[in-house]
Amino acid sequence: MALDLGLAREVLRLRLGMMIINEMYKAKAFKVPIHLAMGHEALAVAVSALMDPDDVLVCSHRNIHYNLARNPSLKSEIDEFLLKDQGLAQGRLGSMNLANPARGLVYSSSILGNNLCVAAGLALAKKVKAEPGAVLVVTGDGAMEEGAFYESLEFMASYDLPCLVLVENNGWSLATRIHERRCHIHLDLFARAFDAPYLLLEGNDPYAYLAELRSARDLALAGPGPVLVEARMLTLGDWRLKTEDFPEGKFINYHAGPAPTVELSDWPLIRADESDPLHVLCGLLGEQMVRDMALALRRDLEGEAA
Amino acid sequence: MNYVQHLNACFRSAAAARKPFVAYGQNIAAGSCVSGLTRGVAAGLDQVALNTPNAENTLVGVGFGLMLGGVSSAYFLKQQDFLLLGLDQIVNTYNYVRQSRPTASYSIVTVVVDSGYEGIQSSLNNFHDFCSFARVQGYCLTNRQDSELLIPRLFKEPGFRIIGVSQRLFRTEVLDFEAGAEACLGGEFFRYRAGDRATVACCNFSLPQGLALCRGLEAEGLSASLFSVNAVLPSTWDPVLDDARRTGGLVVLDDSKSANRSGHRLALAAHQSGAVKKVLVRERSFTDQDLRPAPEVFEVEVGDVLRVLS
Ligand SMILES: Cc1ncc(C[n+]2csc(CCOP(=O)(O)OP(=O)(O)O)c2C)c(N)n1
Ligand SMILES: [Mg+2]
Repeated sequence: MALDLGLAREVLRLRLGMMIINEMYKAKAFKVPIHLAMGHEALAVAVSALMDPDDVLVCSHRNIHYNLARNPSLKSEIDEFLLKDQGLAQGRLGSMNLANPARGLVYSSSILGNNLCVAAGLALAKKVKAEPGAVLVVTGDGAMEEGAFYESLEFMASYDLPCLVLVENNGWSLATRIHERRCHIHLDLFARAFDAPYLLLEGNDPYAYLAELRSARDLALAGPGPVLVEARMLTLGDWRLKTEDFPEGKFINYHAGPAPTVELSDWPLIRADESDPLHVLCGLLGEQMVRDMALALRRDLEGEAA
Repeated sequence: MNYVQHLNACFRSAAAARKPFVAYGQNIAAGSCVSGLTRGVAAGLDQVALNTPNAENTLVGVGFGLMLGGVSSAYFLKQQDFLLLGLDQIVNTYNYVRQSRPTASYSIVTVVVDSGYEGIQSSLNNFHDFCSFARVQGYCLTNRQDSELLIPRLFKEPGFRIIGVSQRLFRTEVLDFEAGAEACLGGEFFRYRAGDRATVACCNFSLPQGLALCRGLEAEGLSASLFSVNAVLPSTWDPVLDDARRTGGLVVLDDSKSANRSGHRLALAAHQSGAVKKVLVRERSFTDQDLRPAPEVFEVEVGDVLRVLS
């Protein structure tokens, strides 16, 4: 079966959009702190493609990929980061709280765990009003350490709420790896504690993700209760910092701010392995096709951003 | 009818007038139903009463999610202390929701545990602090007239606020001022008596003490106006200051433990206006010695007030 090129183009549009923002960021254009999400595109594109007009999406501090996926205009995104009146939210929300209610992205929170509670309330509102659709809420491997993660899942399960809880597991919380800060948490068993189905997404294939998320969404709508989805990924843009103690360079995980070693180019691949959704697209569609799409998109997006 | 029965009737009818409406909280529809406060609230068609798990942080956030989803709600808490676990939502989520022009109403109704025997924990009486965090509107309810006006209004009005009720008053006969009560600024203040020698303004839940003071002053031949300051963050102090300008003396009572009291702001406003000659502030003390299970004492001596006014 021929693959719908739209999904691949979206992955590239997100990557190039973030790279353009990264260049502006390196040039110190922004005062608001932006958490880029290069490496997260496959999930964001699949989630956005999954969403029905009745669905709502709730994001965290790292929301740029979802905002780009829900918004065809890169310009309004950039204008928002520049806090202009023409910005997506008229410059009122900036980066970490950026939402787009007209396109179903109703809330983003900069406070870890905070958005899960709000998502539970949004889902309860749907249930009370007998409205169709699901609530999708994105959290991280760091945010899920908060008590709100436990409480919210308990609430969603207690009232049989149509929620898809998406854990973006990039293995890091700021500069700390999971094993440097906590025990391993068996999310599958955690979900089982609430009788919630659990789904693991790996491999950054947006087509496979969309198919799997469709069945997860169906499960959430059929009930009872929420579905927990863990997506493994890397946040690309790490670099090495040379210091006296680390003459070879100390590994710096990308968390926020400009990614100094990422360069906008005609070929926006960052890593030639599965951690880069672009590499995965090359395997699916052939490198030349992906390169051609990237070239055309770059021209359009740069024209728009200028 | 006692105070808690009266409040329950107000909550029931105000919730019944709203559809859809969700009333929720721990034990609100089980056992004593929060000492009777929540019995039968939101029991109608298109209404939901949820007896929730113990998850205050999430529960505070759920109300904001309901609000974003266009559903009005009230979250009832048995103790205002428990709201401490949801402070992030009260500040951070509210700051998002308030700029999104919500159409739904969300009220957190908390019992302020001010009777004293609960001990060193579970005796928080700092309503002003919660409201101060994100300039949340807060309302203290102490009697028949204020609750009959404010509860239906607040359950209907889009936006978020906290409503505080006093545990100390639960089993007491509900104060009823009948025709004497006059609401100012839509219920930010109420005036219950008009006098000409002093103005007594009661903050937090000190209205019973204020009423006793007025009666004591009257016995000494001195008539006083009596106000309650229902809004924790009133939009202006004018109703009280105008009255105090006329009477020449202002007595401010505040029985909260906060270091951030309405009473302070009122006294400062009176001082800055320069028009009120005599100002007396009586506040509840709060020292390490006050931290033990013992009845909360906040009494105002008529003699002290007379000395300042004369
Ligand atoms: C309550 C709270 N504590 C701490 C922080 C600081 N903080 C911001 S992002 C972050 C890392 C979160 O990790 P994760 O949820 O895995 O998201 P990621 O940044 O890895 O995408 C931390 C600790 C915060 N925003 N909120
Ligand atoms: Mg992480």
